[in-house]
Amino acid sequence: MTDKNITVTAEIRRFSPGQDDAPRYDSFEVNGLDNMRVLDVIRSVYANQAGDLAFQFACRIGRCGTCAVKVNGVPVLACQERCVPHMRIEPLTPFPVIRDLVIDRTEIEARYTDLAIVPAEPAADAEYPLPMPPAVAEKIGHLDSCLACMICVSACPAVDERPFDGPAFMLKLRYMDQHPNNGTDRLPDALEGGLLECFGCDACTQLCPADLSPAQSIRELRRGMVLGGRSGT
Amino acid sequence: MTTIHDIATHAFDVVIAGSGAAGMRAAIAAHDAGCKVALLAKGPPRANHTRMSGGRYNAVSGQNPADSTDAFYRDTVDSGCQINNHPLTRVLANEAMDRAWDLESYGLAWDREGDRKYMLSMTGGGSFVRTIGSVDEGIGITEVMLHQLYKRRIPVLAFHMLVETIQADDGSVVGALALDMATGTWRHFACGAVIIATGGTSQLYETSSGPAINTGDGIAIALRAGAELVDIEFMQFIPISFVYPPSARGYTLTEPAHYGMRHFDPKAEAAHLINNKGERFVLKHDPVRKEGSTRDVLARAIMLEILEGRGTPEGGVLMVPDPRVFDSFLKERPIYVKRILENYGEAQARLQAPIQVMPSALYTLGGVRIDPWCRTRVPGLFVGGEAAGGVHGANRLGGSSMPDIQVFGRRSGMAAAEYVKSRARALAPTAGARGGALAAAHARVMALEAPLRNTDGVRPPDLKRQIQKLMWDHVGLVRSGEKLTSTLAAFDEMREQVLPRLKVTSPVRILNREWMEAIELENLLDIGRAMVTASLMRKETRGAHYRTDFPDLDPNWTANVLVRKEGQAMRVERSAVVTEASSTPTSTPAPAPEPALENA
Repeated sequence: MTDKNITVTAEIRRFSPGQDDAPRYDSFEVNGLDNMRVLDVIRSVYANQAGDLAFQFACRIGRCGTCAVKVNGVPVLACQERCVPHMRIEPLTPFPVIRDLVIDRTEIEARYTDLAIVPAEPAADAEYPLPMPPAVAEKIGHLDSCLACMICVSACPAVDERPFDGPAFMLKLRYMDQHPNNGTDRLPDALEGGLLECFGCDACTQLCPADLSPAQSIRELRRGMVLGGRSGT
Repeated sequence: MTTIHDIATHAFDVVIAGSGAAGMRAAIAAHDAGCKVALLAKGPPRANHTRMSGGRYNAVSGQNPADSTDAFYRDTVDSGCQINNHPLTRVLANEAMDRAWDLESYGLAWDREGDRKYMLSMTGGGSFVRTIGSVDEGIGITEVMLHQLYKRRIPVLAFHMLVETIQADDGSVVGALALDMATGTWRHFACGAVIIATGGTSQLYETSSGPAINTGDGIAIALRAGAELVDIEFMQFIPISFVYPPSARGYTLTEPAHYGMRHFDPKAEAAHLINNKGERFVLKHDPVRKEGSTRDVLARAIMLEILEGRGTPEGGVLMVPDPRVFDSFLKERPIYVKRILENYGEAQARLQAPIQVMPSALYTLGGVRIDPWCRTRVPGLFVGGEAAGGVHGANRLGGSSMPDIQVFGRRSGMAAAEYVKSRARALAPTAGARGGALAAAHARVMALEAPLRNTDGVRPPDLKRQIQKLMWDHVGLVRSGEKLTSTLAAFDEMREQVLPRLKVTSPVRILNREWMEAIELENLLDIGRAMVTASLMRKETRGAHYRTDFPDLDPNWTANVLVRKEGQAMRVERSAVVTEASSTPTSTPAPAPEPALENA
């Protein structure tokens, strides 16, 4: 337990589309425990200095994935990221901004909808538990703990430069591809979503707050493509 | 100023408020029954309480031959101190496994020991090894469900906050009024039925485990629409949660049973809890089950140690885990291991050092009174999940909220669909009735926009903090008649003097958090007043409700407290427990019309 206090400077990007001509950065000083998280700073600014700040969070424990922002250019979960003395806090790019730090996820959810991340419906007389080796259950459980926070998409240089949906979507497709009840060839969707555009830089894996490896999922999907048919292992 | 023409109008068969598992399961069921459905999410789709859950799921899988649905039912009623709505509890016990299989059909991978064998474990209070779970916890449950909604093209309307139901002259619900916070637009959803699945009201408390948006909106909206609340005096506190850092304070660490061999064996011990004198204080409260006791007993025992000065300087007590469970803990709950590592350190994460813990507001045991098909006394208004009361009585077993929200989420969706179909045959709303509903919606809109107009007054976050402090200190784990009475007076004054004077920093309409909080505050105060009023009436100690002035269980109080709102007054009434022998709930007029669905 720490009892040390620190003072941090937070420059927060402010922008109300339709109201402001251009974004601006407002600077705030916040004092708090030195183990406070970026979200603690944002909430303090709202509580004490800028009651009109728009920001998003729900769980504050790294599960809902809705508080992601960029801090000094790096996408992070605000609730999990420790503070540094000087922070420029911005909404997650490259997504449209609703106001201040809150992004519009409409297109993100539409993309998930298109990808149909659902297994085949079991037969009406299927017996439960559906057969699934324990190790497979564990593996697909891990893959399905993706927060959909979009940190990996925001950090991905290929998304910036090339026609690539982003690592999070590839991870979801690999999750379905591994699922014993998948029932759909996921490679066409992966290819259409830019599977081959990934540079292999691993930024997504380095930044994933759920400790997943979208890069590994991409490699596995590619291997499956080269070796033909479904990707097997 | 918003005119009546600025209110956008939409039409659906069934509108569901709440994006957690109860709301999503309701949406799937109503859609599959042929209804045109919309789901309102107060935040982005994944900002819900289910997602924060450890996802442990009580159900009788048939894999433990000693267990049975009867045993699950008895455990639930015993844990609830006999005042559960017994038919609801029976439905939970009977249907939990079918709904777990639904989740499996959606893609959820329950932990397994063999290809067709689930991994079973224990939670506190249960008497048999029966709990299943998955490594992706509540995240996995919400993910597979959300994609089922997407598959069905059910609109999930983000940043849409339900603010009130719209009722016809006969009181039946014919619409929903919502604020679309992403655009600052009011939306009137004309519909045949509204399902409330907005979860609990843990945000009433200073330290809570749930998400920031759990302000009990739906419970308060149902109360104002004429529904009754039941057991609202019972708030479940999770016995152990993080003490620090500030952002994580109050987030659940589940139960001591998870950190000891009791996780696998009902005869083994849970992790020990010790105070600053090194004493195992739980032995004073439950010498038999010890730290494997129910959540109500453990939370109160810990809180009393803290209040009586035997806690840590940071305001917790110490839990001494059993390192032998580490390997399985890491395998089953990697997300928890990671959080403990980040917040406390490696020795704690390896279960080799004491972990600081404190109680935290978790689950609203009471809620809107429903029958086994989630009907309220207001026709057209259905409630499922944590927003409803009665399933768990005075205390809830760990692992029972997950089946509850699946079982009753589905039932609310099916019943609403059935109601809409029968209603459509009986009565199509006239243009005049629609106009009346819209006028009522507009009047409400004008009142709710007052904080945007007020130039002087109180900021919503400031009032919220005052309410949370009063609830934590006086309407939390330790209560007394004197403190409850003074809190009720304070709440009445806040409602009369402060609510009308709420003001926001800026009149911006898009994602104005202060404005959202102003709307939430009326809900929080309504439920807070209902909780205090019911707590005053229950002059005994039972389950999660502990009165220092009535410290013993009173067998005469094996009964429920109902709360109804008349004008601004909270009317409380004592009501006999609904048993399986008593057919329809007493003092509740039969909701019309009766759906052709079997009971229980």
